Amino acid sequence: MNRSSFIRRLSLVAAAGFASLFATSAALAQAAPPAAMRETMAIGDEPGRVSTEEVIIREGAFARQLVFFRSTEPVGTLVIHTSERFLYLVLGNNRALRYGIGVGREGFTWSGLVRVSRKAEWPDWTPPPEMIQRQPYLPRFMAGGPGNPMGSRALYLGSTIYRIHGTNQPETIGHAVSSGCFRLANGDVIDLYSRVQTGTKVVIRHAATL
Amino acid sequence: MSCLATRVHRTLPVLSMLAAALVLAGCASTPAPVAQPQRPQIRPAAYPVSALVGSWGIASYREDRDRPRTETMARQHCRTPYVITPGPTDGIMMHVADDPKAYELTLKGGADGKTYLGFETPPPHAQDREILSLTENVIVMRFIAPDVHARYGTFVYVRCPGGAQAAAPRRT
Repeated sequence: MNRSSFIRRLSLVAAAGFASLFATSAALAQAAPPAAMRETMAIGDEPGRVSTEEVIIREGAFARQLVFFRSTEPVGTLVIHTSERFLYLVLGNNRALRYGIGVGREGFTWSGLVRVSRKAEWPDWTPPPEMIQRQPYLPRFMAGGPGNPMGSRALYLGSTIYRIHGTNQPETIGHAVSSGCFRLANGDVIDLYSRVQTGTKVVIRHAATL
Repeated sequence: MSCLATRVHRTLPVLSMLAAALVLAGCASTPAPVAQPQRPQIRPAAYPVSALVGSWGIASYREDRDRPRTETMARQHCRTPYVITPGPTDGIMMHVADDPKAYELTLKGGADGKTYLGFETPPPHAQDREILSLTENVIVMRFIAPDVHARYGTFVYVRCPGGAQAAAPRRT
């Protein structure tokens, strides 16, 4: 069992213990209203869910790995293939460091050429208005931290609203789930962040070009 | 009539057994009085629940160093305010964590001297928030369930301009 799954299990056990403790006191008191103690709803975005900093995809195609990558892009360029769910950091000599990513869901994919305009550690997060409408209890601003859906690092893409960022949902890597941003596991985005400078060229393509 | 007779016929043996059990129980030693469990009480809260009514900018933080800028951001987010209205009885309408439906909640005093916000059950209840501070224009609170608090952090509510405190709700 790796550390993150251990922590997750530990928190589940703690939560269960906590719940039972309060269930006892509630039972001694008057019955809680029907609304009380209802199940937590399944929430697609799961703002607030904690993913530990060290989560790294270690197995399978979406694990960070050195790959053969033929490209005319300069060394240091980031190339994103949304249909493959891969981000490549061009290393030269037909090689690249490949990361598994989560991409925009249907209708939220895009392509283009931008540059990294800003970098941020544990970025703040502002839920979009439609999310506030769905989940009115959310804070309108969440200071950066482990429960933040933006994860541990963010690379801002030009003047767009899109970013390459971490996630508190590492299991979504390899899926089309976002609103157009590109997400990596927190440990992987920390690694990428350390290799990328502001001004880095970013090429976003839907599919690999032959 | 026949139905009633059948019911009496079925009930009589049961009553006989109960009577026998009571007689036998009378032969036993006097049972020791059973201690009743202490019922947690809802004490009066330190603040009137009407203090929460109004429009608020809300933001959250985890590290104390983020508190000042979180308060600033809460103020800026009055464009998407969180509106707390009086409830149908003595409470106010608000959300609990992870549920888009609003419920009537109230302020409660705990035996520990803290003030809680939640359903009308003795605090601390798993879905309660703890009020860390409350002034006319700024409220700081957090969910008491550790996992929920870990996910959402500590909330700062800043009263929005024009989001005046309403009169105390009256029970109808």
